[in-house]
Amino acid sequence: MTVTAELSQESLLRGYRTMRTIRDFEERLHIEIANAQIPGFVHLYAGEEAVAAGVCSHLSDEDWVSSTHRGHGHAIAKGCDVKGMMAEIYGRATGLCKGKGGSMHIADFRRGMLGANGIVGGGPPLICGVGLSAKVRRSGQVGVAFLGDGASNQGTFLESLNLSAIWKLPVVFVVENNGYGEATGQSYHQAVEDIAKRADGFGLPGVTVDGNDYFAVAEAAGIAIGRARAGHGPTLLECKTTRFFGHFEGDTQTYRDPNEAAEARASRDCLVAFRARVTDAGLLAGAALDAIDVEIAQLIDESVAEALAAPWPDVSELSTDVYIKY
Amino acid sequence: MIQPSPEIVVGIVANAASGRDIRRLTTGASVFDNAEKGSMVARLMAGLGATGVGRVLMMPAGGGLAGTLIRRLDSRRDSLPYPELELLPWRPTETARDTDRAVRELLERGVAAIAVLGGDGTHRVVARGCGSTPLLALSTGTNNAFPELREATVAGLALGLVATGRGGPLALRREKLLEVSVNGGPRDVALVDVAASCQRFVGARAVWNAGDISELIVAFASPSAVGLSSIAGLIDPVGRYAPYGLHVRLGDPETAPMRVVVPLAPGLVVPVGVEWHRRLEPGGVAALGGGAGVIALDGERELELREGDRVSVKLVAGPLTIDVEQVMLQAAQLGVLRGPITSAVVAEEAQ
Repeated sequence: MTVTAELSQESLLRGYRTMRTIRDFEERLHIEIANAQIPGFVHLYAGEEAVAAGVCSHLSDEDWVSSTHRGHGHAIAKGCDVKGMMAEIYGRATGLCKGKGGSMHIADFRRGMLGANGIVGGGPPLICGVGLSAKVRRSGQVGVAFLGDGASNQGTFLESLNLSAIWKLPVVFVVENNGYGEATGQSYHQAVEDIAKRADGFGLPGVTVDGNDYFAVAEAAGIAIGRARAGHGPTLLECKTTRFFGHFEGDTQTYRDPNEAAEARASRDCLVAFRARVTDAGLLAGAALDAIDVEIAQLIDESVAEALAAPWPDVSELSTDVYIKY
Repeated sequence: MIQPSPEIVVGIVANAASGRDIRRLTTGASVFDNAEKGSMVARLMAGLGATGVGRVLMMPAGGGLAGTLIRRLDSRRDSLPYPELELLPWRPTETARDTDRAVRELLERGVAAIAVLGGDGTHRVVARGCGSTPLLALSTGTNNAFPELREATVAGLALGLVATGRGGPLALRREKLLEVSVNGGPRDVALVDVAASCQRFVGARAVWNAGDISELIVAFASPSAVGLSSIAGLIDPVGRYAPYGLHVRLGDPETAPMRVVVPLAPGLVVPVGVEWHRRLEPGGVAALGGGAGVIALDGERELELREGDRVSVKLVAGPLTIDVEQVMLQAAQLGVLRGPITSAVVAEEAQ
């Protein structure tokens, strides 16, 4: 039997490395935030790694993603420099945005990362712009908007579904349905369980997959992105997933069963499942994954140390990078 | 029409979670939404009430299914003798575990029969736990081989007649079942087909690429079916109640000795190559070719294999299903549903 190209050792290792980097980055921030050296709000992506890693495994630097307030995972999966990201979150001059953006505005246009976004539902219209540009220029690029279940109630999202469908834009809307819009459970904020259904009303296909399963996300995203690249128009891809931490760091999560996150970690951890399945299938040796674990732990240590040692932005930077000249 | 008796209880398993899979992108499969499924259950219950079934136990269902059902029942309860509806008292996880649990509890409660609304996958899960309790198999989409696409009101009448002991001698049919074992240990079952796929992971579940399939074993195969079983159906049809099944080895359509064009999924017609095919006798065991991959059961990837795993498939007797056509034919011949016009019917007509 043949092994499909997507499951080459190289691509599997890349998928694991991406998820492990996101997990370690977020777990470390969870600890570091308590040291009160990080300015601003931080929203952690731990638990949802399979979505960003599975989707972005089909994208190149030429493709664009828009992100959310919970954007670290998308940035890492899209190839942003991890040390630059950490410095940015620490507000240091060596950060990806010179320390002036912070967690919720990390962007890196060289990597096709349009930016984390503090506006809930802010990404989809930006991605329609990406899609229109790519279509007019026939560039072959694809745009992916990540958004959450809460954002799926926003007019910006619904209008973007409509615009992308009538213009047949090369875009994919990836809804990371983690069951909560901030502190509001999904059943309190929408009457449907499958957000993919919202596609029906706008004339584009909608698909739901298990967002904790890297292989389910990667397969569905591969088809959706392939459709977009081939000129067949947009797709709404809903990934049902789990948030290990609160909405923001410091969230007491009184709206949630106290055992819920622990149960999710025990039964639906995308990294644990990935490791078990690729080693059971004989596709990767556990040692190769262990080596990545060691390497990433060191990278995150260095990222924090270098961020702490880096200078703050100079006061003279206060009014630069505010407006762009066309 | 007779008044429902609380002694007579049937179960309902309606899957609210199906219908958003990858086939929405790769093929043209259509499915009923949950509002339609809820309406289907209400229509089914009209048939049940009219035949004397007093109580329905139903798997809890989210996604608007139960909500639609309850609204429908409430709006017509005054004019029609619906059975009492009792939802099993737990929160659904929207996974196959709900179905397993519901079937177990319905059997414990002694239901006379179980109506299943879903696709091949839902029926497969019910079949592995239902024992000798008869099933009414109703399809809620266009991509199914096992359940029938049928108006639920009539199906409800037939189910009610069976539950009240008036189904007649031809009411029930014995289906076939494919038991799948890995390394000698039983692992799961299929009602229609078992396929070996070269995909390594369950992934997005649905089988949608003929090129992935190396081998196929079917319990039955109609030449007019859609799906994997159509491959077998178009080379050597196997009647649903014929005693045997079929084992097919697939190959490259360019080089295989036989090439056949099949409707692999709604909206998807493709050529497949066939190396050989042979019948699988009752009780017979077929080994699936070695090698790592995934086993798909009734069209959905379910079992991930390790290198060297040995997979065998045995054809055995399956669940009992209700033959709606036969039950209604017998009802007509014996005048089972004939009788004086009741006040409920008069009231209904007067509105």
